Amino acid sequence: MKKYIIAAILIGIGVAISFPLFSISYYTMVRTSTPQFCASCHEIKPAVVAWRSSTHTNNATGVVVDCMDCHLPPPQDTFNFFFAKTTHGLKDVVAHFIGEEYDRQKARESAYASFDNGVCQKCHRNLLYMPTQRGAMLAHRAVVYARPGYEKKCVDCHYDLVHSDRGLVMFRQTREVPYQAKGLRQL
Amino acid sequence: MRRALLTLTIVCLAVGMAAASALAQPNFAKVKEYRIERSVPPEAQACIECHRATTPGIFADWAKSRHANANITCLDCHLIQPGDQDIAQGHEKYYGRSDLPMGEAKYKMSIASIVTPKDCSRCHPDEATQYSKSKHANTIEIMWKLDPWLNKGMNSDNERKTGCFNCHGTVLAIDENGKIDPSTWPNAGVGRLNLDGSKGSCTSCHTRHRFSVGEARKPEACDSCHLGPDHPQIEIFEESKHGTIYHAYKDEYNFDSAGGTWTPGLDYRAPTCAACHMSGSGKVMGTHDVTERLSWETQAPLTVRPQDFKPFPSGTDWQVERDKMKNVCGSCHGESWIEDFYQGFDNAVEEYNEVYFKPANAKLTELYEKGLLDKTKFFDERLEVEFYELWHHEGRRARMGVMMMAPDYAWWHGFYECKLRFANFMEESNHLIENNEKAYVAKDFPNATGDPTRPKAIFP
Repeated sequence: MKKYIIAAILIGIGVAISFPLFSISYYTMVRTSTPQFCASCHEIKPAVVAWRSSTHTNNATGVVVDCMDCHLPPPQDTFNFFFAKTTHGLKDVVAHFIGEEYDRQKARESAYASFDNGVCQKCHRNLLYMPTQRGAMLAHRAVVYARPGYEKKCVDCHYDLVHSDRGLVMFRQTREVPYQAKGLRQL
Repeated sequence: MRRALLTLTIVCLAVGMAAASALAQPNFAKVKEYRIERSVPPEAQACIECHRATTPGIFADWAKSRHANANITCLDCHLIQPGDQDIAQGHEKYYGRSDLPMGEAKYKMSIASIVTPKDCSRCHPDEATQYSKSKHANTIEIMWKLDPWLNKGMNSDNERKTGCFNCHGTVLAIDENGKIDPSTWPNAGVGRLNLDGSKGSCTSCHTRHRFSVGEARKPEACDSCHLGPDHPQIEIFEESKHGTIYHAYKDEYNFDSAGGTWTPGLDYRAPTCAACHMSGSGKVMGTHDVTERLSWETQAPLTVRPQDFKPFPSGTDWQVERDKMKNVCGSCHGESWIEDFYQGFDNAVEEYNEVYFKPANAKLTELYEKGLLDKTKFFDERLEVEFYELWHHEGRRARMGVMMMAPDYAWWHGFYECKLRFANFMEESNHLIENNEKAYVAKDFPNATGDPTRPKAIFP
């Protein structure tokens, strides 16, 4: 009888401690995963403003792609996600106070370097069959089935896609000029 | 009655004449038909409809191309990209012309006349990347690092535009009116520096608006630049057995195989320029970097390995590249044939370097050091011209003639001429040294008015 009471008390204490802990970390994660939160750092604000005017926010399908959809490993990859998110967060705070002045171009380059094609391909999965865009079909084959030594990143051609400073909000469905990748950035 | 008859005759005549003039064919080429049967954006339809009428040649070219087969239209290449400077301003006015088919504002699209390798890389990224590493793409830089005509301003700007830059390429610029600077355009040079920063022009070899793979596989694609006294590669090819067989059997060649399937012995009996220097063959992968398979720089003053070519080190390993080339030869030739051929080539390079170039170069240096030749300009003293032609003309003909197996170029146009030139050069040099006499300087060297400043866009 006594044993059960002790067990129940211990479980009760466990729940009492862990529930708020989980709850806090859950809410922390949710609240720190929004573009609004990212924009609270003034270094990042221009990137968020540009994102808000891009087709990754404005398109007829209503899909909005948030910062962490591209810039972090997917949340189901829990450990990497938490690890990457925490490191980024801590690094940004430290860099803000003791780091060099924020260089947007440099940050852009390091973001390009860190991008993994898998991140884009989480959403953009059907890349090979585009009957109205045969050029893209050809180019995408050169990425998906890259010849050894010619591996490419999606962002090699699709750069300045989201974080370009525009005067107006861009809507995919009202785009006057059809979207084209700009060609290899390295050329 | 008589009056009525007269009127009738006049009316009949008038109607007859009108009918006759309506039947007469206007002096126009028949325009190729085009029905929009596949999805094409309306703006691109407008391009096509209008250009069928205004530039039927361009339209017909495109209509026969693989691009048209794949439904790739004008806009896929010419559409302006955000930030592009070379917007064709004059083109916009056509969207307001009611006499043109689809000349309506609703189809208005800003376009650029200049299409660059970067534009092509949207669909052909690997080809563009390979090309960007080649001496073709970087030829302006190489030219400015080597050439006395440019660096000493010895020819005029127009001689350069119409001569040198036609093949090597211009540094494209926009003038104060926002138009392409006419001193830099039109140009399809292999090393053209484009406004988007990319180098070269795919249309040098795959001409507008067919962009044919078959065309670039033919030696004629190369011969508009690779000819003449200083680098007669096409004449050398023509003289070689490869060229003889090409001319005898080209009707049987299949130039239009899909990329990666062009096969020696099956699609062609003897190679063309592209077959050895670019196309895949056996286990060797195709490349758009023409520099790749080279093991000697036979165009340089002193023959060096491509990785040691100072103006533009290739970043390759000559031994690896020679093995690739041997592999290409191996599609048709046996091993000992290939080894023995290369022995002849290596010996020729060695002899050119040691027997002709180095002693002549040492003599030239001596003349400069003793103050007998004047260093301020080049070509204004006869010995400078002699030295230049020794390496730039017959010295190249000899080396290239040996490499591509054209005996007449190896000997009569090559080493024979080197010998005479060398003997004359040495005789005159020694004469000046023995008598401590300064060379005659041509005060009236003509049209040496070109700008000697290196283009900032290439040499920042």
